[in-house]
Amino acid sequence: MLIEPSFIHEQLSMTDLEFNICVDDYSDGVYRFILKISKNKEDARDIVQTAFEKLWVNREKVETLKAKSYLFTVAYHLMIDQLRKENKIVMTDSFDENANAITQGSSELKQLLLAAINNLNPTQKSLILLKDYEGYSYQEIGEIMQLSESQVKVYLIRARLILKNKLTHLEKMSA
Amino acid sequence: MINENNYETYFMSYIDNELNAAERAAVEAFVLTEPKYTEELALFEKTKLHASSNEFIEMEDKIFLYRFPEMQASLDPDFKNSLYKNEAPVRKILFTPNLMRASLAIAALFILFIGIQLFKTNTVIKEKASVVSTNISSTNSKQTQSTILPSNEVNASLNNSNAALVSSQPVNKKINATHNSLNESSTTSKIDVEKYSTKNLINSNIISSVESQALSLIKLHEAQIVSNSMETASNEETKNTNLMPTTYKEIDTEEEDRTINIGMLEIDGAAFRGITRRVSALLKRNKIEKEK
Repeated sequence: MLIEPSFIHEQLSMTDLEFNICVDDYSDGVYRFILKISKNKEDARDIVQTAFEKLWVNREKVETLKAKSYLFTVAYHLMIDQLRKENKIVMTDSFDENANAITQGSSELKQLLLAAINNLNPTQKSLILLKDYEGYSYQEIGEIMQLSESQVKVYLIRARLILKNKLTHLEKMSA
Repeated sequence: MINENNYETYFMSYIDNELNAAERAAVEAFVLTEPKYTEELALFEKTKLHASSNEFIEMEDKIFLYRFPEMQASLDPDFKNSLYKNEAPVRKILFTPNLMRASLAIAALFILFIGIQLFKTNTVIKEKASVVSTNISSTNSKQTQSTILPSNEVNASLNNSNAALVSSQPVNKKINATHNSLNESSTTSKIDVEKYSTKNLINSNIISSVESQALSLIKLHEAQIVSNSMETASNEETKNTNLMPTTYKEIDTEEEDRTINIGMLEIDGAAFRGITRRVSALLKRNKIEKEK
């Protein structure tokens, strides 16, 4: 269930032009974020479309500067709902042994890391993606994911420790 | 401060750029204390995805996300209002066809039941009437027997009854005085009266027993005698005048005849008849009005 983010305020309505700029600037980012977690192009596209529709509906309440956070928030919660419907949320601690096969041909470390990230649960994956790719602060991630800053910190350190352990394990295996 | 127990948290915050300048300096100093921390920090840095490494995936069909001015085009409100259809007020059907049929069937059954009950009560009345007629025939025969009795005996019996019943009244003294003279002339009239009274008794359907008839006979006779004595007192010349026949109304004293039994219900017959009369009068009136 999506809770209206705190950055929704009464203000001047977002114009068509501003909205279209948001589409230009954020649609690809939101799409990538969802696609990397859900692994389904159709789902990712539907979620992005729904997120932008919600932004248009609430254009009188959402500040243009916070439109990106709003889009990520809506998209993240839609994705979680979608994954819950499909019972895809499973805590995966076991490493995908086939990860190596997927990652052949490019930078070895990067591919190992991406394979390790793919085995994280959606929350941890979302935290890593929002922090590393989108550059959000702990506070902003908390707003998007409806978590407190300390929760974000704790979940993120757990995710990084998992990644670190898996990377060392894979490095040892490759060595 | 950073130490052996919390260095992982600091390292993560360090690579995430969540530390201020002082904290960053503290971490860098801590790393230099032991080489294993340098390795640890390097491993943490490997877990970080770099934005530059994010493969560029463009969303397909992005065109559908854009908003165009045409999308906000709307019809003229007046024209829009003209498109609305005003729904006619829906009539609420109180009696659906099935309910109507069911109620009619129940009403028909009820009427049939009442009709059967009325038919039964009529047959009972008729049976009673036949029983009464047989009693009447028996009483008639008894009456004829009494008329055959000698006049003296009749007079004696009448005298006795009168003496017993009317002894307290002063008028009866006159009756007794004039009785002897009247006896002869009234014997015939007495018989008439007796016949008449028996007729009345028959008509009234009250009496099935002879005793009650005798009692009423005595009463009637007494009344007759009283009237006769009054007449004799006023004018002796009217002695020979014939007695006027008195009329008696039929009084239904039997409770059973007045009630109509419908199953467990007991309906007052008189009231029911009254209602039916009123209904028929109403119907007639309506009919007349319609004809007009």
